[in-house]
Amino acid sequence: MKKSAKIIIQLILIMCVMPSMADAQNIADRIHRLDEVTVSARRPMKDIGVQKTTFDSIALKENIALSMADVLTFNSSVFVKSYGRATLSTVAFRGTSPSHTQVTWNGMRINSPMLGMTDFSTIPSYFIDRATLLHGTSSVNEAGGGLGGAVRLGTLPDAPEGVHLQYVQGVGSFTTFDEFARFAYGSEHWHISTRAVCSSSKNDYKYINHDKKVNIYDEDKNIIGQYHPEERNRSGAYRDLHILQEVYYNTLKGDRFGVSAWYIDSNRELPMLTTDYGDERDFENRQREHTFRGVAQWDHIRSNWKVAAKGGYIHTNNAYDYRREVTADHWTTMTRSRSHINTIFGLAEAEYAIGGKWFLTANLSAHQQFVKSDDKSLTLSDGADIIIGYDKHRLEMSGSVSAKWQPIDRLGLSLVMREDIYGKKYAPLIPAFFIDGLLSRQGNIMLRGSISKNYRFPSLNDLYFMPGGNPALKNEHGFSYDAGISFDAARKGLFSISGSATWFDSRINDWIIWLPTTKGFYSPRNMSKVHAYGVELKSNLTLRPFREWLLDLNGSYSWTPSINVGEKMSAADQSVGKQLPYVPKHSASVTGRLTWRTWSFLYKWAYYSQRFTMSSNDLTLSGHLPAYYMSNISLEKSLRLKPADLQLKLAVNNLFNEEYLSVLSRPMPGINFELFIGITPRIGKQKKESSQPY
Amino acid sequence: MILRKHILTVCVMLMAACSSCMKWDYGDEPEKFDVTGPGLFISNEGNFQYGNATLSYYNPATCEVQNEVFLRANGMKLGDVAQSLCMHDNRLWIVVNNSHVIFAVDTRTFRETGRIENLPSPRYICFLNDDKAYVSQLWNNRIIIVDPKRYEITGSIEVPGMAAESGSTEQMVLFGKYLYCSCWSYQNRIIRIDTETDRVVDDMVLGIQPKSLVLDRNGKLWCMTDGGYFGSPYGYENPALFRIDAATFTVERKFEFPLTSSPRGLCLTNAGDMLYWLNDDVWRMEVTAEALPSTPFLSSRNTIYYGMAVNPDNGEVYVADAIDYRQQGMVYRYSPDGKLIDEFYVGITPNSFCFKNR
Repeated sequence: MKKSAKIIIQLILIMCVMPSMADAQNIADRIHRLDEVTVSARRPMKDIGVQKTTFDSIALKENIALSMADVLTFNSSVFVKSYGRATLSTVAFRGTSPSHTQVTWNGMRINSPMLGMTDFSTIPSYFIDRATLLHGTSSVNEAGGGLGGAVRLGTLPDAPEGVHLQYVQGVGSFTTFDEFARFAYGSEHWHISTRAVCSSSKNDYKYINHDKKVNIYDEDKNIIGQYHPEERNRSGAYRDLHILQEVYYNTLKGDRFGVSAWYIDSNRELPMLTTDYGDERDFENRQREHTFRGVAQWDHIRSNWKVAAKGGYIHTNNAYDYRREVTADHWTTMTRSRSHINTIFGLAEAEYAIGGKWFLTANLSAHQQFVKSDDKSLTLSDGADIIIGYDKHRLEMSGSVSAKWQPIDRLGLSLVMREDIYGKKYAPLIPAFFIDGLLSRQGNIMLRGSISKNYRFPSLNDLYFMPGGNPALKNEHGFSYDAGISFDAARKGLFSISGSATWFDSRINDWIIWLPTTKGFYSPRNMSKVHAYGVELKSNLTLRPFREWLLDLNGSYSWTPSINVGEKMSAADQSVGKQLPYVPKHSASVTGRLTWRTWSFLYKWAYYSQRFTMSSNDLTLSGHLPAYYMSNISLEKSLRLKPADLQLKLAVNNLFNEEYLSVLSRPMPGINFELFIGITPRIGKQKKESSQPY
Repeated sequence: MILRKHILTVCVMLMAACSSCMKWDYGDEPEKFDVTGPGLFISNEGNFQYGNATLSYYNPATCEVQNEVFLRANGMKLGDVAQSLCMHDNRLWIVVNNSHVIFAVDTRTFRETGRIENLPSPRYICFLNDDKAYVSQLWNNRIIIVDPKRYEITGSIEVPGMAAESGSTEQMVLFGKYLYCSCWSYQNRIIRIDTETDRVVDDMVLGIQPKSLVLDRNGKLWCMTDGGYFGSPYGYENPALFRIDAATFTVERKFEFPLTSSPRGLCLTNAGDMLYWLNDDVWRMEVTAEALPSTPFLSSRNTIYYGMAVNPDNGEVYVADAIDYRQQGMVYRYSPDGKLIDEFYVGITPNSFCFKNR
C-alpha cells in the first residue's frame, strides 16, 4: 500500500477516535447507556489521591485471543515489551523495569519469585473480570516493591441468575485456533463459573529477514548473488490451555465466600533469532509450564467496617529445553532447565470507617516461597550426574496500615505505612502520603498528589541463580512523587467526557542489572541510579451523536524519560545522562468503538517511540529499534436468534502490514486475521427475555 | 471548527511521525570498502540473544576506526555472539557462536566470500591447511571438520570420555601433525589430536576448566584454567597457568592464581617470548620465567578488560574495555613499554582481535 494512502486511511481512523484520552477511573463507568452516567464529587475514601487506570469488561472481553499484554498495549500507556506472538511479554510503568511492576490476582502476588517479573502473555484477558493499574506511589496501597506501579487483576461473581452457557470459536492466520467456553450459574446466594480457553497456533508467519542474506554460489563456490530471504517465524508454535473454576457464596447477611482456581498448561516453542543460520529441523527450543493458582477468600462486611481473609497456593513447574541435532540423529541438550515453585499465601485485612470522615485500613500478607531451580542437568565425562541450580525458600511478608481523612467533602488526605520483611531482612518502613482535592464541582475538577519511598527486594534468581547469583545484592530503593489533575463532565443522554494529566518523578538507586562476567556467565549487580520522570495523559469521551449510535473513545499518552544518573563505570563510559535501553520516551494508545444497533466497529492504535538498545544511546545501525505504531480493527455483529444469541467478529491485526520489532532480532507478524463465532444458548427463561452478555 | 482544526493538526503530525518510522535503517545497498596495508579487525560479541554482534576495523597507521563494517559492506547483520576471529588465505574467518555460522570475508572489501552454516555451537576455527579446518564446540563432545574451500562440514571428531551434554572443546593450537585443544566448560583436560587420522590420541588432566591455550617459541604450550566458580557442583579451585612441553605432552610447571581471581585471554608476542594475559589488570611474563609477576604491566582504571592482543609486527598491546557490556566498548592501544598511543570506540563487548599484514 502506498504511504500516502496509508496515511489517509489512518487519518480517517484516528479522526474517529482521537479527540479524547481516557480517564482511567471513568473507564469503569463507561457503559452503553449514557443516561445512567452520573457524576459525583464524593469519591471512595479508599482511593484518595490514587492514580489508577481501570479496565472495563468491554476492553477485557474484546476477543478470546487476547492476553492481558494485548489489552495493556492498546488501552494504557504502560510499556509492554514483547518478544513476539505468544512469547514473553512484560509490563513496565513510568520508565522502570518489568520487575518493578507488582502483579496480584485476587489479592495474591503472582510475580515469579525467581525472576521478579510477570509474563502477561500467559494471562488470557477473558479470565480477568477486573483489572486496575496503580501508577507509581499508588502501588503502595496494594503491595511493596512496585517501584514503577502495580497491576491488580481479579475475578468477580458476575453470573446473572440462572444457567448460562457461552462458547466462542476463533480461527485465524498462521493456523491459529482459539476456543473459549463458559458455564455459569447464578442465584441469590451462589455464583458458579467454569471457564476454559484453549489456544494453539503454528505461528509461522512470514517476514522478510533484513538481518540475513542468502548466498547464490557458482560451481566454484564463489558468491554470485545475495538476497534477503522471505522466512517464516521458525520454531514459534504454541498451545496453551487455561481452566478457571470459581465458586462464590453470599449469605446476604454481610458474609461472602469465594474460591477461584486457575490451571495453566502451556507448551510453547521459542522462536529462532533472525540471525540464526541453523536448520530449524535440527533445533528444539521449547518451554513448558504447568501452573495452578488457587485463592479462597472470605469477606465479612458491616455497615462501617469490614474484615477479610484470603488463603492461596501457587504451584508452577517450568521446563525449558534447548537441543540441537549435532550430527545425524544425534541430539545434544544444551540447556535442560527445570524449576519447581510452590507458594503458600495468606492475607488478612480490615477496614473501618468513622463517621464518614475517617477511614482506617490494616493489611498483612505473607507469601512463603519454595523454589527449586535446576538450570542444567549434566552428565560429566566420568559418568557422574550433576545439577546446577539452587533450592531455596523465603518467607515474604508485607504489612500496611493506613488512615484516610476527609475533613471536608472537597479534601482528602491519606497516609499509608508499609513494612516488608523478606526472609530475615527488613526493608525500612515505606511511607506514602496521598492528597486530593475537588477544585470545582463544575466539571468535577480534582487535584491529586502523592509521595512515597519504596523498596524492592532482589528476586531469588538475583540472589541464588547458579552460576552468577549474587547474595550480596542490596535492595533497590526509590523515592517518587506525582501530582495530577482530572476532570469529568456529562450531559445526560448525549455525552460524557473525562481527562487527566499527571506529572511523576522518581529516583531509583541500586537498580539491579544482570551483566556478563569474564567467567562466561551473567551476574546481577546493583549498578545504576535512575531518574525517571514524565507526564501521563488520559482521556475518555463517550458520545451518542444519534439515536442508536454510540461512540466510545479512549486515549493515553506517556512521556517517560528514564535517565541513568549514576557514576561513570570508567572514563570511557558514555551511558551517564542517557535514556535506559529498551525504555521508550513516548508511548501512546487510542481505541475507538462505534456501535450502531447490533453492529460494532473497533479501531485500536498504539505507538512506541524509538528505543535504544545500548546504554550509550548510540544510533548505530544495529543499536536501536525504530519507533513503531500498530493499528488493529475489528467488526462485530450480534444476532438474536430463538435458540441462541450469535456473535460474529472479524479482527484484523497489524492493519497496515507494518514490519516492526519490539526486541532486536525478533520480528513481529504482519497483517493477520481472525474470525470469531460466539454462541450463547438461551436456556429456560432467557428464551423469553433479552440476554445480556456477561 | 477550531477544535476540528486542532485535531486535524495533531493527526497530521502523528501521521508524519509514524509514516517515517517503520523503515529499516540499513539498506540493501552495500558500502564499498578497499583497505590496504596493515590493519586490525576487532570482533564485538554483542549481547546474547540480541543478534547485535559487529565487526570493527582499525588502521594503526592513520589511527582511524571503522565500526560495523560487516553490516555496512554486506547489508546484513553479523549475528549473535561473535566469538572469535582467524586469518587464513587472505580472508578473515568470523565465528559467530549463537548464529551457528562462520563467515569468511575479504580483508580488503569486508565483503562475504562464503559461510559455513548449521554448526552446533562453534567457538574457534583452526586451519590445518587450505582444505581442512577444525571447529571447536560448546555443549558438544565433537570437533567439527570443515572444508573451507567448499564451506562444507565434512566430518567430526568425537572426544573420548566426554559426555555430549557437558561437552566442550575450546582453543586450539597446531604443533607438527598434532593439534592440541583445551576442553573448557565442565571439563578439566587438554586433548591431543592426530590431524592425519582425525582421532584423539592423548589427553591430560590439568585442572578445572582449561581455556586459553598458546604455543611459545620453545615448543611449550601455555594453558590457563579458570578454576570454575563458587558453588559449582563441578568444583571450584585456584585458577592456574600451566607450561606444558608439547613434544612430550607433559606439564613442566604450574603457576597458581588466587582463588577469587579470573585470569584469562592468554596471548603471545610474535617472537613467542612474552606472555600476556588479563586478570583485572593486564599482566605479562617472559616465557622463561619461573614465577608469576607481582605487579601488572597495565593497571585497571575501573575498566573491565575483556579482550587483548599483541601486534605481531611491533609488540604494541591492544586491550578492550567492555565498560558496562551494553554500549560501545573502548580499545586502548599501548606501546610495548606501556605508553598509551591511542584509544577508540568499537562495538558492544569487544573480545577478539586479528591482525592483517597487507
